Amino acid sequence: MAEKTLIMESNDGKKIEVPIDVASRSILIKNMIDDLPEGAFEEAIPISNVSENVLTKVIEWCTHHRSDPPSSGDDDDTRRKTTDIDEWDQKFMQVDQEMLFEIILAANYLDIKPLLDIGCKTVANMIKGKSPEEIRKTFNIQNDFTPEEEDQIRRENEWAEDR
Amino acid sequence: MDHTPMARDSDASDGSIPLRLFPSDLTARSLSAPFKVDEGYADDTRSQADKELLRSPSDDVMSIPDWVLAHSEAERAEIAYSLLRTLRTSTVAAVVERLSPLLHMDPVLRLPPEITAEIFSYLDPQTLVTASLASRAWRDRISDSRLWKELYIDEGWRVDIDAIRAFEQEHSGFPSPQSRKSRSRYADTDLGEPKQKKRVPSGWLDSRAQASEGNGSSTLGLNQQGHARSDREGDHLMSDAADDRSTLFSKETEDGYGHESTQEISSPTIERAPSKTTHSPLLLRMPNGSAKINWPYLFRQRRRLEDNWAKGRFTNFQLPHPSHMEEAHQECVYAIQFVGKWLVSGSRDRTVRVWDLNTKRLWHRPLIGHTKSVLCLQFDPRPSEDVIISGSSDKNVIVWRFSTGEKIHEIAPAHDDSVLNLRFDERYLVTCSKDKLIKIWNRKNLSAADKDYPSVQQGSGVLYPSYIVDTSEIPSPVLEAEIAKNHIRTLAPFSLLMTLVGHTAAVNAIQIDGDEIVSASGDRLIKVWNVRNGACMKTFVGHDKGIACVQFDNQRVVSGSNDNTIRIFDHASRAEVACLHGHADLVRTVQAGFGDPPGSEEALKLEALAVDRDFWNAQSSGEAVDLGPAALRRAGYLQNTAGSRNPRDIKALGASIPPGGGGSKWGRIVSGSYDESIIIWKKDRKGQWIVSQKLRQAEAAANASYIAHSNTSSSRSGPGNAFALAQQAAQATQTQGPSNSSQPSSSTFVTHALNNLQQGNSNPNSSFSTTPQQTEPPNRPTPPPGPPLTSLLAAANYYTHPRARLLAQAATPTSRIFKIQFDARKIICASQDSRIVGWDFVGADEELEEACQFFMGL
Repeated sequence: MAEKTLIMESNDGKKIEVPIDVASRSILIKNMIDDLPEGAFEEAIPISNVSENVLTKVIEWCTHHRSDPPSSGDDDDTRRKTTDIDEWDQKFMQVDQEMLFEIILAANYLDIKPLLDIGCKTVANMIKGKSPEEIRKTFNIQNDFTPEEEDQIRRENEWAEDR
Repeated sequence: MDHTPMARDSDASDGSIPLRLFPSDLTARSLSAPFKVDEGYADDTRSQADKELLRSPSDDVMSIPDWVLAHSEAERAEIAYSLLRTLRTSTVAAVVERLSPLLHMDPVLRLPPEITAEIFSYLDPQTLVTASLASRAWRDRISDSRLWKELYIDEGWRVDIDAIRAFEQEHSGFPSPQSRKSRSRYADTDLGEPKQKKRVPSGWLDSRAQASEGNGSSTLGLNQQGHARSDREGDHLMSDAADDRSTLFSKETEDGYGHESTQEISSPTIERAPSKTTHSPLLLRMPNGSAKINWPYLFRQRRRLEDNWAKGRFTNFQLPHPSHMEEAHQECVYAIQFVGKWLVSGSRDRTVRVWDLNTKRLWHRPLIGHTKSVLCLQFDPRPSEDVIISGSSDKNVIVWRFSTGEKIHEIAPAHDDSVLNLRFDERYLVTCSKDKLIKIWNRKNLSAADKDYPSVQQGSGVLYPSYIVDTSEIPSPVLEAEIAKNHIRTLAPFSLLMTLVGHTAAVNAIQIDGDEIVSASGDRLIKVWNVRNGACMKTFVGHDKGIACVQFDNQRVVSGSNDNTIRIFDHASRAEVACLHGHADLVRTVQAGFGDPPGSEEALKLEALAVDRDFWNAQSSGEAVDLGPAALRRAGYLQNTAGSRNPRDIKALGASIPPGGGGSKWGRIVSGSYDESIIIWKKDRKGQWIVSQKLRQAEAAANASYIAHSNTSSSRSGPGNAFALAQQAAQATQTQGPSNSSQPSSSTFVTHALNNLQQGNSNPNSSFSTTPQQTEPPNRPTPPPGPPLTSLLAAANYYTHPRARLLAQAATPTSRIFKIQFDARKIICASQDSRIVGWDFVGADEELEEACQFFMGL
């Protein structure tokens, strides 16, 4: 392969060779590359917080999105409302919850904003339209409110009910 | 950014590896003090979640032999599977059942606050409120102040960010700006207020690069940098909000001036916040003693306020205070404007009055100077401006000092006929008149070299006085020399700069916004003009009769007409995007608040494009959409013009705003009509404007005077009250006359210039207020309206004979609406009644009352 690559090393010691434009989807990596002279990447770059299976998954995403235009970096205000996710990304995110959260954490750590956004949207969509009990089930949450407290909060929240 | 690693660095036994590569960088990122705290948190959750899962939870699970644990994960999985295969299906099912919770894990425990904040930012308030019932941890995460601030702003609601800042300052005990640094630092960490706004703040990457080059391994340097940055970000957020506010469609004061500075001049009767505010739910107390506004609470209160509007829950009040009726205008009130606690009114009794809305009392003596009805006014109470400008049917414009009431200047005459409306900003005063003209005047000394000096456009229907020079024809060195030699004189304030010719009937209303003037005329047209050169840039056609009122922003123009409708036009394309039917008579006054959330302009364009696309699709699929309203009517289809997106209801394509004009779901239009009612319009779920409330001036007046009754009876010993009571009693008897014997008293009102709008109705060929005989001739004495306190009497009558008022009302119009203004909590209305009445949607709610100090309109 003629294209330039670098090697990423997961926290469980696995080394993965990645084309530079793929790895550059990570702003963290991109800044390292930009900051350092040519040839400084003969050593593997340790990705200290990401395990191999998660890193592989993240690289899969980066590879698919390698030619996306770089995100503007700004928080645009229109982004907020929509939790629509691209079909490929939706499939990509069909993983168990542990993997989902690991991907989110890795995207956060590696500073891959579009991936982080998709992860957050995925979780947001899991919360939408559910009752408190359903939310607890979905995420295995222990209800630690007393019935009285729950009542109290429900009363406080009445304002949100109509409209 | 530096929040990034905190979720995971904690268990980074190999966190030292990157250090070899980027010592300064990563040291700082993992060690910077503010984030230590959160790292501890992330550490906990990881140890709980991960380790439990990998090595089985400790609870009631038998210990596993070491030889099993020595295998790789894949091998262990294989062993487990084989083991499970030895079990009966029902046992397997039980195991699966037991395992399944382990597959579901709590994001609030697994993810750091800034990421859950990001997740929550995709959810609507209602979902969040529901989700906050999941557990305490969820509730804590969701009641995040920043999250709710964003949600608040996204609803299209606005706040007085300066008042909030001042409030926080006041209760923080941090008088100096230096304190802000430490405050925001604490806010960012100790409170667990995550930054959901930005993960990579602009400029961070750059400064980070610099730091890693320059600072070597000094963590100290980076710590400082981190603090400075978060501080700057705080500023950035703040100024964001302030900017947003200034660009939004603010009709708080109708002139674009915020009222943030009004408290500075509220001299003698400054209401100190009651001491209970120190414990107010409005404030969140930081560990270091500083105070922050409680955004979740503020959101909730705003929501409750909006519900009061929707459900018509209000209390009424009136100016003057019911126990000081002697302070009332003596005749009907044509013009009002309020800013903060101040309201200024202009009346047919030729006076301008300044009121304190807190006490409902007259502030100083009535301003006397006009020789006929005061028809229009605008004021700016800020000390830097301190001005009231009023226009009258005496053709003159008077400039008053707001604080003292003295007359500073008079333009006499300003026009050849009644001055129907005026607007000013820091630079210009714009007046319009029944003489069909619009005139622009300078407010400050203006030299020909000044950027606000008119740029002359030859032959464009603009008239310039001879002393206005065409600066484009004079090379600038020459111009400077001429000015130096005093050949071109500096214009004194309130010199006429230009006269805009174009309307063919009285110009009833104008507004100024930036460099644009919008005008509405009896000739059924709305025009947009350039304030610098006077060029007419656009003409809007749509109304079937003369137009009485207009309001605009950079996206839409809203107008009320003698055709009884309110129409909304797309500013860019001039397309009519809505026509609201609901009034039974001339719509004399309108104010619209669309509640645009920041950055919504692009979204509106997309919506409009989608509507156009639906139209074309419907047409190409053979639906009868392109027939025009008349053809549709013949075909038995009645177009919905209130903002429907049905292709058959679309009246014009190519607009840059969708049908109805766009804006948030809280958008509100308030209109006042000669049908004696005020309509509050809101949007239904489909985005169509519907009547939310219909308010009657007479009922408000009755309510307000009912309060008067109880007030006066509880404190009737004072001399002022005794006076008011005596007056009311005396007048009550007189009132029987006019109200029972139909026409005469009302006919005296009708002669007024602006009431001619109404008469235009009876003359189908002419638009209103154009025929000379309907105008007030210069020397004609003001028609005697009978005893000056006529309508005041009616007021007194209301509470003595509540039923009589209803009868009277049916007989003759006594409460035509001339002017309304609304803000976040109230509507105030000027009408044929000499009292000014208001609807306060706070009701008697103390919590809401307190929160309201920060709310601004839509």
